[in-house]
Amino acid sequence: MRVDAQQGMLCETDHESGHCITCSDEAIPLRVLRVDDERGLALCEDASGEHTTIEVALIGPVAPGDGLLAHAGTAIAPLPRSEVTA
Amino acid sequence: MKYVDEFRDPELGRVLAGEIVNLVEPGRHYKLMEVCGGHTHSIYKFGIDDLLPENVELVHGPGCPVCVIPMGRVDDGIALAHEPGVIFTCFGDMMRIPGSDGSLLDAKAEGADIRMVYSPLDSLRIAKENPDRQVVFFAIGFETTAPSTALTLKRARMEGVHNFSCMSNHVTIVPPLRALLDSPDMRLDGFVGPGHVSTVVGAQPFEFIPAEYEKPIVVAGFEPLDVLQAVEMILRQLAEGRCEVENQYKRVVPYEGNPRALEVLAEVFELRPHFEWRGLGFISQSGLKISEAYADFDAERRFSVPGVRVADPKACQCGEVLKGVIKPFECKVFGTACTPERPIGTCMVSSEGACAAYYNYGRFAREREVV
Repeated sequence: MRVDAQQGMLCETDHESGHCITCSDEAIPLRVLRVDDERGLALCEDASGEHTTIEVALIGPVAPGDGLLAHAGTAIAPLPRSEVTA
Repeated sequence: MKYVDEFRDPELGRVLAGEIVNLVEPGRHYKLMEVCGGHTHSIYKFGIDDLLPENVELVHGPGCPVCVIPMGRVDDGIALAHEPGVIFTCFGDMMRIPGSDGSLLDAKAEGADIRMVYSPLDSLRIAKENPDRQVVFFAIGFETTAPSTALTLKRARMEGVHNFSCMSNHVTIVPPLRALLDSPDMRLDGFVGPGHVSTVVGAQPFEFIPAEYEKPIVVAGFEPLDVLQAVEMILRQLAEGRCEVENQYKRVVPYEGNPRALEVLAEVFELRPHFEWRGLGFISQSGLKISEAYADFDAERRFSVPGVRVADPKACQCGEVLKGVIKPFECKVFGTACTPERPIGTCMVSSEGACAAYYNYGRFAREREVV
């Protein structure tokens, strides 16, 4: 039986996805909006439209529209564009 | 929404559940471990347990980095936070982990300057904004999180932020799995492998599981169909008499991992000879300390850290939960003395912790079963 508890998660870093993005093994898919090559940073957007700045040094050059998987402010893997289209 | 909807399709879920039923041998009990706390969360949230035949049991592994932090490290962190002039930064869940005499949240209430951050880069920014203060980042996490800390330390050096340092509690995933496989009270048939740790380390480090222990492991994503498909792939291997590393999460995880991330980790960290895990004790070469090359940014060298060792509370059975020996509801204090509001054990704190996940999503089902 699947029961959906109404009280939600109690983790302070809990977001819409219901996961704790900072403490778990689970990263989040984001779409690149703008790239700052000089500083190795990219402005990204999550599925809910929230913007965040991500360190992209570990996944090579990225361009607006690219997908990436980020954890604790750092991109750890590229994603196919189709996987982050809202 | 694309990406999510495709992996939550109920019809496909029913098809997979049917295939799983066809694969299991009646009368045989299958015990599969989901290594990662993110999987535990998905299993309870989406009721995946309820789609499996009764003789397929999913048990939780040690893959929640908050849950495995021993009390002594929390006490060390609190001691650091009380150092004069220190701004102590950590992830949100860490604030509520009980030490032997209160949590970081309690220390904050007592006046210590403790701030929650979402990324070590936030901590570095705080250091730049407060040049007359010492800013310490309490780093936790597996290989998923460690690259972020490593890049932050590189950035701190590059930008000359000398009032920033890090207390590393980073851990690695392979040694605890080996410890579990060597444990005489564990009888596992296979593993659902961690998805996002594997984006960094790849699937290759898990080859020892089939090679040395003859068990299958399937690296899996976190959506409900990912987890169900991984279970199906493990059971198929068992049915066909195979044991290998398979990758269900190929859309994200390359076999060899992320070479750049591995390179940065090797530059900034080195393995500790031993590291203590909550409930699992000391495990050889399972923790990461800051390398000699980055010693200037190591909070454990910059400050006098007590190095406290504290036994887990007697009532707490987090160790057995982390090893998958007991289910959360079988713990003596689950849901009574230990709740998310007032946790005794770490597994009840983080949303990825098995006890918290079960408390939030599964306990009502259990109560109905009992009635």
